Amino acid sequence: MDASQASETPDMTMFLASAIHDMKNSLSVLTGFMEDSLGDAALQEQPIYKKMAPMFYEVKRLNDNLLELLTIYKVDRKFYPFDLAEHAVDDLMAEIEQQSGTLLNTQNVKLELDVQEGLYWYFDRDLVLGVISHALNNASRYTRGSLRLAAAEADGFLELRVEDNGGGYPKAMIEEGIAVSRGVSFNTGSTGLGLYFSAMVAKMHKNQGRAGEILLENGGKLGGGCFVLRLP
Amino acid sequence: MMFTNDSHNAFAERRFLIVDDFQGMRSMLREMLKTCGAKDIDAASNGNEAINMLEKGKYDVVLCDYTLGAGKNGQQVLEEAKFRNLIGLATGWVVISAEKTQDMVLGAAEYTPDDYIVKPVNEATVRTRLLKVMARKAALHDIEKALKSNDYKRAIALCDEQLVARSPYTSDLLRMKTSLLMKSGQNDKAKAVFEQILAQRDIPWAKSGLAKIHLLNKDFDVARRLLSEVVEANRTYLEGYDLLAKTLEEVGELDEAQHVLARSAELSPNSMTRQRSLGEIAQKRGDLEVAEKSFRKTISLGEYSVFKTPAAHIGLAKVCAEKNNTAEAIRVLGEVHKQFDDPEATLHAKVIEGAVQSKSGNLVEARKLAGEVAAMVKDSAARLPAHITLEAADLIMGTGNKDAASELLKIVVQNNHENQQLIEDVKKVFVKGNMEQAGNDLVESSLQEVVQTNNRGVALAKEGKLDEAVTLMRNAKAMMPNNKRILLNLAYAMILAMKKNGRDNGMEREARECLDRVQKLDPGEKLYGEYRAMLETLAT
Repeated sequence: MDASQASETPDMTMFLASAIHDMKNSLSVLTGFMEDSLGDAALQEQPIYKKMAPMFYEVKRLNDNLLELLTIYKVDRKFYPFDLAEHAVDDLMAEIEQQSGTLLNTQNVKLELDVQEGLYWYFDRDLVLGVISHALNNASRYTRGSLRLAAAEADGFLELRVEDNGGGYPKAMIEEGIAVSRGVSFNTGSTGLGLYFSAMVAKMHKNQGRAGEILLENGGKLGGGCFVLRLP
Repeated sequence: MMFTNDSHNAFAERRFLIVDDFQGMRSMLREMLKTCGAKDIDAASNGNEAINMLEKGKYDVVLCDYTLGAGKNGQQVLEEAKFRNLIGLATGWVVISAEKTQDMVLGAAEYTPDDYIVKPVNEATVRTRLLKVMARKAALHDIEKALKSNDYKRAIALCDEQLVARSPYTSDLLRMKTSLLMKSGQNDKAKAVFEQILAQRDIPWAKSGLAKIHLLNKDFDVARRLLSEVVEANRTYLEGYDLLAKTLEEVGELDEAQHVLARSAELSPNSMTRQRSLGEIAQKRGDLEVAEKSFRKTISLGEYSVFKTPAAHIGLAKVCAEKNNTAEAIRVLGEVHKQFDDPEATLHAKVIEGAVQSKSGNLVEARKLAGEVAAMVKDSAARLPAHITLEAADLIMGTGNKDAASELLKIVVQNNHENQQLIEDVKKVFVKGNMEQAGNDLVESSLQEVVQTNNRGVALAKEGKLDEAVTLMRNAKAMMPNNKRILLNLAYAMILAMKKNGRDNGMEREARECLDRVQKLDPGEKLYGEYRAMLETLAT
C-alpha cells in the first residue's frame, strides 16, 4: 500500500478493531469490578444483589461479543495465533466451571459436570474456552435452573455438550445452526455472532481431512436445548 | 468453589515476583496471590528493576506483564533472565498481556513463557493457571536438569520413563525427546517419532521437525513440500515460515525466501532475529530499501535485548555505502564502537569502515584503517569467523599490504579447506592484488598441509596409537581452530581413545566442544550426528 494514500484513507476495519479493543478493556474492568462485588457476602444480603444478576449477565455478554468480534477479525486477517496443543479435557472443564461460577451463582443455576476421565485432546484452549463459555452464558438465560456440561469421545471426535432444562431451541434456530455450520451466509438477528464464532472455531480445528462442527439440538439428559461442539 | 489445602500450600510455600508498570495492576495481582495463599510476594515496576530483583533473589513464579513502558518489554526480561541464568529451571514464568500474540505461544521454545494469561485477569484464572504451571514445572524438573547439564542420554531416558504412562505432559515430553534426539545426533530416531505422531494427527511442530531433518539431510524438495503444507494449514506458525525461508535460500530462490520472511516478520513484529534475517536476504538480493528498513528495525528492537549483536549495524552500514551515503555508513559503524564492548565487533566495524572509505575514494583514511586492522588481527585471525578475516584481507590487499593480506588468506584457506565457495572468494582477493598465481599456489599447499595432517592422524588411529593421534590433532586444532575436518577427526580420535581406555570427563568435554564447534560452522555436517551419538552412548 502506498504510504501517502494510507494516511488519507484510514483503514476502517483496523480503526474498528482498535476501537473494539479499547472498549473491551473498559468492559474487562467493569466485569472484574462486578465479579468482585458479587462475590462479597455482605452484598449478597442486600436487595440490589438480585438486580445485579441480570446486569452482570449483560456485561458479560457484551464482553464475550467484543472478544469474539476481535478474534473473528484476527482470523480473517490471518493474524490469529492458532495454538493447537494437547490439553487434559477435565482441566478445561474445571477452568470453565470456575470462570462461570459467579454468573451461575447470581442466577441460581446449578451446573452439573460430566467429563470422561483421562481424556486428552488437541485444541486451541482459548478458542474452545470462548465457545463453551458463551454457550453456558447463553443457556443460563434460557434454563429453568439446571445446566449440564459434558465431555466425551464419540466416533473419533471430542464432543462437548452444553445442555439445559429450558424450553429448547426454536426450530428456526436449529436450522440456523445447521446452516452456519455448513458455511451458508446468514443475516438473522442477535444470535448470529455467537453461532458464527462457534462455527468458525469448530472449522478451524481439522485433523486428517475432518473438520470440527457445531450442532443445536433439543433433548439431551435435561430435556432442554443442547449446544454441541465436536472437534476431530 | 472450594479450594483444597494443597493448593493453598502450593502458594504459601513459594516466592512470587510481579512485574507490571501500573501500580493498580501490581496491587490487584498482589491481592489475588494473597487470596490464593501466597505470602512471599515482591513487585517490580519495569524491566531493569525486575532484572535487579532476579539478580538478588530466587523466585519460584514470575508474573510479568508484556508491556512495561520504556525499556525492556516482558519478553526481553524473560530472555535475559533465562540467558543469564537468573532464574532456575523450576521457576515458572507467566506472561500477562492484553492480547495473545504469536511470540507468546509459538515463539522459540527455549524462550517461550510457561503460560500466558490474557487480560482481564481474575482470581480463578490466576489460581488455575499458576497451579498448572507449578505442577508441570515439578513434573519436568529432572529432565530439564539433565538437559541443562548436557546429559542428553539421561534426559531422553527420563522422557521415555514418563511417556510410558499417559501423562498430561505428553506433548511436552515428545517435543523435548525429539529435540534431544536431534541434539545428540540421532536424527533417524527423531524422524521415526515425528512420523509416528504425524500418522495420528497433523501437528505443526512435528511436521516442522520432520522437515528440519530433511533440510539437514539436504532433501530440499521434501523439506519444502512439508513446510509449505505447515504454513498453508497454520497461517501463523512462525517456525514453519523460518524453516521454509531457510530451505528456499538453500535452493537459491531468494525472491520467494524474502517473501516468506517478510510474512514471518510481519507476524512477529517484535522479533529481532526475523527482522535481521529479512534484512540480510534483502541485502543479498540487492533490495536496498527493504534491507535498510529491516536493519534499522532490528537495531531499534535490539536496544534493550540481551541478544543484540552488531550484525544489523554492519549490514546497515554496507547498505548505506551501497546507496553512496558514506556519512551515514560511518555514523552507524561508530555506533558499533559505542554500543558493543567486544573486540570482534570493533574489528569488524573497522574493516567495514575501511571498505566504505576505500569505496568513496578516501584512500588515505582507508590505508590508515587497514593498518590498524592488520595489527589487530595478527594474533587472532584463526579464531575469527572466516567472513570477517576475508573482509579484512580484502581491505588490506586493496590498500597495498600484500604480505599481511596473504597471511590472512592462508588462515582462511587452512580453516576452511573444503569450503569451495570460500576458496573462490579467497582467490578473488588474490586476483585483486595481482597475485593470481601465488594465490593458487598458496591455496594448493594449504590444502595439502591439512590433508596430510589428517591422513597422518587417521593412520595413527588405525595403528592403535590413539594418544598420539589425539596429540597430533590437538596441535593441528591449535593452528586451525575452525577447520571442520580437523575438529571432527580430533573428536573421533578422542572417542576411540575413550572406547579403549574408558570414559574421561575432561576428554569428553573437549570432544563435545569440538562437535559443538563443528555444528556451529556447518549445521548440516553428517558426521556430527554420528560422532555425537557415539559420544552420548559411550559406556561409563
